[in-house]
Amino acid sequence: MTLDWSVVWQHREALVAATGTTILLTIATMAIAVPCGLMVAALRLYAWAPVRTLATAYVELFRNLPLILVVFWAFYVLPIWTGLGLSPLATGLAALALNVTAYNAETFRAGLNSIRRGQVEAAMALGMSRTQALRRVIVPQALRRVLPVLASTWVSLFKDTSLVSVIAVTELAYVAMQVRAQTFRVLEMLTAMAAIYWLLGYPQAKLVDWIQRKYRVTE
Amino acid sequence: MDFSVITDHWRFLASGVLVTLALSALSGVTSIAAGFVVALARMYGPRWLRPIVILYIDSMRAIPVLVVLVWTFFALPIVGGITMAPFWAALVGLTVHLAAYSAEIFRAGIESVRPGQTRAALALGMSRAQILRRIVLPQAVVRMLPAFGSFLSVTIKDTAIASVIAVPEFMRQSETVQGQTFQPIEVYTFAMVVYFLLLFPVTRGVDLVYRRVAHLGRS
Amino acid sequence: MTTPQSTAPRAKGGNSKIIRYRGVIKRFGSFTALNGVDLDVHAGEVVCLIGPSGSGKSTLLRCTNGLETIDGGEIEFEGALLPKDERALRAMRARMGMVFQSFELFPHLTAQQNVAEGPRTVQKVSLAEANRRAVAMLAKVGLADKAANYPSALSGGQQQRVAIARALAMEPDVMLFDEPTSALDPETIGEVLNVMKALAEEGMTMVVVTHEMTFARRVGDWVAVFDTGRIIEQGPPTQIFDAPTTERTRDFLSHLGWSG
Repeated sequence: MTLDWSVVWQHREALVAATGTTILLTIATMAIAVPCGLMVAALRLYAWAPVRTLATAYVELFRNLPLILVVFWAFYVLPIWTGLGLSPLATGLAALALNVTAYNAETFRAGLNSIRRGQVEAAMALGMSRTQALRRVIVPQALRRVLPVLASTWVSLFKDTSLVSVIAVTELAYVAMQVRAQTFRVLEMLTAMAAIYWLLGYPQAKLVDWIQRKYRVTE
Repeated sequence: MDFSVITDHWRFLASGVLVTLALSALSGVTSIAAGFVVALARMYGPRWLRPIVILYIDSMRAIPVLVVLVWTFFALPIVGGITMAPFWAALVGLTVHLAAYSAEIFRAGIESVRPGQTRAALALGMSRAQILRRIVLPQAVVRMLPAFGSFLSVTIKDTAIASVIAVPEFMRQSETVQGQTFQPIEVYTFAMVVYFLLLFPVTRGVDLVYRRVAHLGRS
Repeated sequence: MTTPQSTAPRAKGGNSKIIRYRGVIKRFGSFTALNGVDLDVHAGEVVCLIGPSGSGKSTLLRCTNGLETIDGGEIEFEGALLPKDERALRAMRARMGMVFQSFELFPHLTAQQNVAEGPRTVQKVSLAEANRRAVAMLAKVGLADKAANYPSALSGGQQQRVAIARALAMEPDVMLFDEPTSALDPETIGEVLNVMKALAEEGMTMVVVTHEMTFARRVGDWVAVFDTGRIIEQGPPTQIFDAPTTERTRDFLSHLGWSG
C-alpha cells in the first residue's frame, strides 16, 4: 500500500473553493432560517387557530424527515412545482433552509415559552401593551436562552451541508469524493476530507461550549 | 400523479423499510451501550483517559456522519485490511458517530441529579457504587428519556444517509425505483410519508412515557 | 483557638460523650467556615446550634459525618476519631442519622421504599426486616397510610417526616438535623417539630441546627451560639435565652425578635 498525500496538495484550490461553498451554505441557510424560524414560532404561539395549525404542521413535518430525503425531494419536485430551474446550490440551500427553519421555530417557541408568566404580568402591570411586553421583556430574555441552542444548531448545520453533495453541489464532501474518484487516492482524499471538517468543526464545537457556559440560565 | 409505481415495487420498497428498521434498531442499541461505557469512562475513569474521551466526543461533533460512513466503508479496508459489507460498515460507522452523542446524554443526565441526593445517600452510609446504581442512575434514566427520544429519531434519520454507501435501506431502494421509473414525485412523496410515520410516533411515544414517569426523576 | 465553655453542669449523659469537637477548623479556599470549634455532645442530649446564616453551623454538621473533611482539630465519635478509610467512614455514617433541609427523599422510590433503602442496601438486612422497620418508622412519624406514596405526592412536612423515618430506620446512635424546618410552610413546621420533640423525649441524642428558637428553648438541653465560624457562647437554654452573657448573643436574639 503506497500512499500519495500530494494529491491533497495538488487539488488544494478545488478543496479550498469547496470549503468556501460549505461555509457560504451554512451562513446563507442560517441567514434565512433564523428570521423565518422566529416568524414561524411567533405564528405558532400568537396567530389565530388555522395559521397556528399550519405552522405546527410545517414544524412537525420537517422535524420528522431525514434531511437527505428532503434534499432529493427538493431536487426533483421543486422545479416542477415552482417552474423555476434552480441550480443544485439553490436547491440545496432551499432544502437546508426548510429543515433548519423548522428546528429554529421549535427553539424559539421553547425559548419564548420558558419565560415565566409572571414576567408578562409584571410588565403589563406597569402599563405596557402586550407587544411592548414582548419586545422589551420577553424577547431579550428569550434570546439569552435561545443563543446556546442556535449555536448548537449552527454546528449541526455545518455538518449537514455535506448531505447536499448527493445532488452534486460543489461543497467539500462532493469535491473531495470527486477527486477521490478521479485520482483513485481513496484513503488520502477521504482522510483529508475528514481532517478538513475536523479542523473547521472542532473549534466551532468548542465555541458552542463556551457560549453555553456563558449563557447558562440560572433561576 | 400515478402511485401505481409504488404498488408495482412494493416488495422492493418494503425490504428497504425492513433494513431501515434493522439498521436503526441495531445501531441504536450498540451506540447507547457504547455511549454508556464512554460516559462512565469520562466521569469515573482514570485521569489520563479523560482527554482522549473528550477528543473523541468533540471530533464526532465536528465530522459529519456522511464522512464517517464513507470513510468506514471505503478507507477502513485500506488501512485495517477488513472489508465489510455495506450494512455492517454502516453499523460500525453509525455506532462510532452516535456513541459520542449518547455519551453526552448520559453525562448530562447523571450530572443533572441534585448533589443533595448523593449527600443523603452518603449520610445513610452507602458506597459510591451503590449510590450510582441505586439512587443516581434510576433518576438520571428518567431525566434522559426526552433526550433519548430525540436520539432515536436522529438514529433513524441517519440510516437514510447510509444509502450513500449502497446499504439497501429504504432511502436507497426509493432512489433505485425512482431511477428506473422516472417518477420522482410519487416515489419521494411516498418515502416522506413512510419516514414521517416511522419518526413521528417515536418522539411522541417517548414524550407520553416521559410525562407519566417524570415525577420519578424530580428530586 | 478555644471557645468559651459554660461551667454550668450538663443536665444529661453524665460523662459519656457521644461526639467531641476539639478545635475544629474548616476552610473553603480562602474562606474559613469553622475557626476552632470546641463542643461536647453527651448521650441523650439535644444540642441546638443557633446563629446567623453562614456562621458555620451546617458546616460543622456536615463535618460530623464526614461529608466534609476538616482541615484542623479533631472530631471524636463514640470515643474514636473520624476514620479516613472510606469503608470505616461509611460504617460510621450508618450509626449517625442525618436529616436535610431539602428533605432529599429519593423520588423514584415510594415512602416505604425510601425508609427501607438504608437498612437493605447498607446494613444488608433481609427485605422482610427492612420492610418491617420501614412500616414501624413510618407509623412512628405518623405516616403509616402514606407508605405507598411517591415523594411527589407528599407535602413538604410529610416528606420531611419520611426523611426522619428514613434516618431512624438505621437505628442510629445520634441524629443530626440540618435546619429541618427551614424549607417548610409555617403550617407544616409544627408536625415536624412534634416528631423531633417525641424523639428527644425518648432519649435520642440529637444535634439540631435550627432557627426555631422556641424549639431550642423548650426541647434543647444545650445550646451553642455560632458567629463567623466560632461558638461565642454555649450553655443550657435558660442561660442562652434568658440571661445571655455575651453582647453578640444578645444582638442575635434581639434581631430575631426574641423576647423570652
